[in-house]
Order: sequence, then structure tokens, then C-alpha cells
Amino acid sequence: MVNVLQQAQNNPMASTIILNETIPSKMALVPDFISSAVEKLRLLPVKENDIFNIKFCLHEAVVNAVKHGNKLNSALGVHVLIKIDKSQLTLEVSDQGEGFDYRVLPDPTTPENIMQHQGRGIYLIRKIMNDVKFFSKGRTIKMIKLFESKGGESEHKN
Amino acid sequence: MNIKIEKINDNVIVKLEGELNMNYSNMLRETFKKILKDGNIKVLIDFEKVGFIDSSGIATLLEMFQNLEKVGGRMRLCHVNKRNIGVFEITKVHKLFGIFENREDALKGL
Repeated sequence: MVNVLQQAQNNPMASTIILNETIPSKMALVPDFISSAVEKLRLLPVKENDIFNIKFCLHEAVVNAVKHGNKLNSALGVHVLIKIDKSQLTLEVSDQGEGFDYRVLPDPTTPENIMQHQGRGIYLIRKIMNDVKFFSKGRTIKMIKLFESKGGESEHKN
Repeated sequence: MNIKIEKINDNVIVKLEGELNMNYSNMLRETFKKILKDGNIKVLIDFEKVGFIDSSGIATLLEMFQNLEKVGGRMRLCHVNKRNIGVFEITKVHKLFGIFENREDALKGL
């Protein structure tokens, strides 16, 4: 496991699945699930700054899927896939809800929205990850984090 | 998450320990309500032992900030680590809260 990232980097065709799990939509389960995913990432040669960013975005996406996607219906699952391809990490989080229009999300940093109590999760994900796409009418979010090349810690994009 | 409350003169210091995520936002919200109910209007949140804050944690801080503003109060943050500051900066809420390096600086003029 330790050399998974290096192996993937050495072989451009390599694709390694780090986690492929479905959890019931219970908010209480989320922190332990995220922690166990982070523990798996810590076995890889991934920098601490990247781990923090990946953890943050995974957390926000899973919470969104449980709360807004599946509307806390524990009979519905949230599927999480984490894989490493080449020099990037891909996170996919899918819910079983009705989907949403991800094209019309307001900017939470404007003066009229900055006091709103919701609507920051996806904005943060888009700022932190290198690429974010939605599929299946918004039921699946796919996030890509490029690993920094040799050198210092990467910072968020803005 | 653990929450410890300390009072220095008329300043309330809320020391958080752990992860400020959606499972603990309500606990913090109830703490804030009690602080306001007791008539306190100067609040410092000490983030020294907070490793992680999510968007619901930010919302809880914003709610307290707004409630304090309504009564002419103020809220400041101190000891926020670099990564959490990054989260505040992306959402631009750092412009609303005063974020200070240490307690002493934060308490000056609170």
C-alpha cells in the first residue's frame, strides 16, 4: 500500500482503488467514515496539506450527499470511490436522491450572500480541488486533486 | 469536541478542542445561546486545539457573530491554524471576524 502512489506514477496506466464503500445516510457515521478514509490516505506518500484538502472536500461532499441528497433517509446509501491515477487522486461521491441543479449555485462570498448559513460546501470544494464535475443530475460529484510535484506544500487555488 | 468557557473581566473565552463539524455545531450553538442569555457581548473563540472546521462550523460562527452584532457585541478568533485560516479566507468570512495570532492581541479592544 505504501508505494501505491509511486507505482501509479511510474506506470501511467495504473489505477488503484483506495476505497470503494457505501454507507447509510446517517450523519453520526460520517466522521468515523472520513477518518478511516484519511487513515488509508496516510499510508500513501501524500503530503499533509493534500490530505487536509482531500479530507475537507470528502467530508463536505459526503455531508451534502447524506443531508441534501438523501435527505437523512438512512435507507438510502452514499457511495464513495477514491482512486489514484497517475499523479492525481479522484474522489467520487454519489447519493440516491433527486439530484439538484449544480449550475445555479450562488456565490457565498458576495455581500448579499456572505451572511447566509448555507451554500459554502460546494464553493469550497471547487476552490480547493483542481477539477470538479457533476454527473447523474447532480447525484454524483467527481473531484480531482493533482498531487504537487516535488517541492513545497501546495496551497488552495485562490 | 470539548468546549471550555473562561471569563476574563467582561470577556468570555470559548476554548474549543477537536473537530468543529456538523455533529458538534448544535452543541456549540447551545453554548453560544447560553453566553448571550447570560448577558455577555464580548466573545473570543480560541481555536488552538481545533484541527478541522467544516462549512457547518463556519455557519455556526456566523450565526453567533450576527447575534452579537444585534446586541452591540463583538466576536474574535485566535490561534487559528494555517489550514483553517485557508478555509476562512476562501469563504471570505475572515473579513467579518477578527482573527488574531494570540489571546492577548485578540483581547485588546475587544
